[in-house]
Amino acid sequence: MIETKNLTKHFGEVVAVDNLSLHVNRGEIYGLLGENGAGKTTTLRMLATMLQPTSGNAVLAGYDLVKNPEKVRSSIGILFGGDSGLYDRLTAAENIAYFGRLNNMSELLLQDRIRELTEVFGMEEYIKRRAGKFSKGMKQKAAFARSIVHNPDIMLFDEPTSGLDVSAIRNVHEFILDCRSQGKSIILSSHSMSEVEKLCDRIGIIHKGKLVAQGSTAQLQEQHQGKSLEDIFIEVAGGGK
Amino acid sequence: MSIKHIWIVFKKEVRDIIRDKRTLITNLLIPIILMPILVYFMGGGMEKMEKDIENVTIALTEKSDTAEIRSLLEQNIFGDYPNVSFNGVVADPTAAIQDDVVRFVLDVEEDFAAKLGEGTPYKIFVHYDETDTKSLSSYGILTQAIQEYSQKQVEQRLIDMNIDLQILQPVSIVPINEADENAGGNFMLMMIVPMLASILIAVGGIPAATDLVAGEKERATFEPLLTTQAGRMSILLGKYMTVTMFSFVSVIAQLIGLLIGGLMSPSFFTMTSPGGQIGNFNIPIGALLLTILILVTLGMVFAAVELGISTYARSFKEAQTYLSFLTIIAMVPGYATMMLQPDDLQLYMFFIPLLNAIAALKMSLGGLINYTYLGIALGTSMLYVILSLTAAAWMFNQEKYLFRS
Repeated sequence: MIETKNLTKHFGEVVAVDNLSLHVNRGEIYGLLGENGAGKTTTLRMLATMLQPTSGNAVLAGYDLVKNPEKVRSSIGILFGGDSGLYDRLTAAENIAYFGRLNNMSELLLQDRIRELTEVFGMEEYIKRRAGKFSKGMKQKAAFARSIVHNPDIMLFDEPTSGLDVSAIRNVHEFILDCRSQGKSIILSSHSMSEVEKLCDRIGIIHKGKLVAQGSTAQLQEQHQGKSLEDIFIEVAGGGK
Repeated sequence: MSIKHIWIVFKKEVRDIIRDKRTLITNLLIPIILMPILVYFMGGGMEKMEKDIENVTIALTEKSDTAEIRSLLEQNIFGDYPNVSFNGVVADPTAAIQDDVVRFVLDVEEDFAAKLGEGTPYKIFVHYDETDTKSLSSYGILTQAIQEYSQKQVEQRLIDMNIDLQILQPVSIVPINEADENAGGNFMLMMIVPMLASILIAVGGIPAATDLVAGEKERATFEPLLTTQAGRMSILLGKYMTVTMFSFVSVIAQLIGLLIGGLMSPSFFTMTSPGGQIGNFNIPIGALLLTILILVTLGMVFAAVELGISTYARSFKEAQTYLSFLTIIAMVPGYATMMLQPDDLQLYMFFIPLLNAIAALKMSLGGLINYTYLGIALGTSMLYVILSLTAAAWMFNQEKYLFRS
């Protein structure tokens, strides 16, 4: 479902992502583990077609990233950490509908989908209220709904739990697992060992733009004499050096 | 690029801005409320100033306070000037003028009657304050009255000597006004409307432009938007249409405010017009349409520039800072040409952005239409639209600007 081949991104002299090759299967959560500035966000931005690769390519849901970015966008949903990224002056329904319309959904299908997502996320009470006055939890649910309104096959999560409290983190984790159960291919970028260990089927450790190790937690531990994921990370990523 | 996506973005942005109380208050309510107040006080102030200038108060020095001199001044010189009033006697003319007790203090030579009888000139000393606008303006009324009296004395002497009065006027002036009959006398409107409309169109979209890209970046709504199927050009054009529209909403609000102010205080518009009348507007429909098109293209140029700057900015505040410079740039040609009248317009002005819109408006309001000049202004404006939009689109596609952090 996601296949990257030697994906590379330069910002002037800086190599942000260096020959990154990975694949993510359908119904699989791939954790991209790395420190701040390791190249996780740049990778996700390239996969979301926001940034053009300097070299290399990727195929997402069968569409070529470079040749067919619009089709790639039709197949992906993205959720960022920190701010929910909702329009405060629009209602939750309007926020979701805006993204549905921009993803070419028919009005009939869109309204059905909003009803369905309202029920799934329990947003009945506030779906017609403006997002600016929502609690963090309400905003989060509206942002989840917005990211999957067009029912994408691929989900990209860029440090989705950054800055959230415990219950909000749990909501995000449940949402990610729900997406997997729906058969979506998922890339989750994080710098939290426990998070990737808990959620991901496979993990790729990224350091200075390079993929320095990958495999399931068990495979990585086997390759590194049964060390904990944190120790493995320190070993392969050089402890941030 | 998809027209459907452009329209979706445009509709959403308009809805979003309409719900923003700050933008509504800044763009709509404040101009509609503040402009009439401004015009009312400016018009009222001017009216009061004019009345004050007409109402002249005069005092005499102590040594001029004689029945003979009073009679000379009150009956002979200022008898036909009902707005001139005498206000007693002052010991210190300088203090009386500077303390604003009276506007003028007159000091007439005591032996004026004898000199008059002998045919020798006598003097009237006029104490006034040249740095005071009212005093300076009223001085004309005072000297006019004295000169009229002096003229009458001369005429009487000539009559007594049996000399024809025509000897005093070897040449007479016959004024013939050759001004174009279409040229209106709406000087105040020609001064204010082009400047105000052009500056407001240029800067009216700034709040929207700041919010629509830099604001979105800051609120983290921009990146999710870029991952939808809408292409960047569609997103940019949807936002561009919104900014252009709000440039005009702002100017329309200001002009409504100006109109309300004009209805409340008509003297504001007529204070510099001959006869204090608003002249007839006689703008041919072709010139009117060309002028409107030039103004629309001006709004489009600035909307593109503003969006480009907003794209470059890292944050809302940074965008506000950059765009405040744009306001100053827009104000320079506006104020520099404020006093220009339609017949002062030069060909080069119709090639320069913003200046061409001001020139076109002045030309149309003044009724001195030159279609070649208006055509040049529209042509150059359209070229600037293409250039500015190309620059904004280039900016919007540059990763290094779009994702600056």
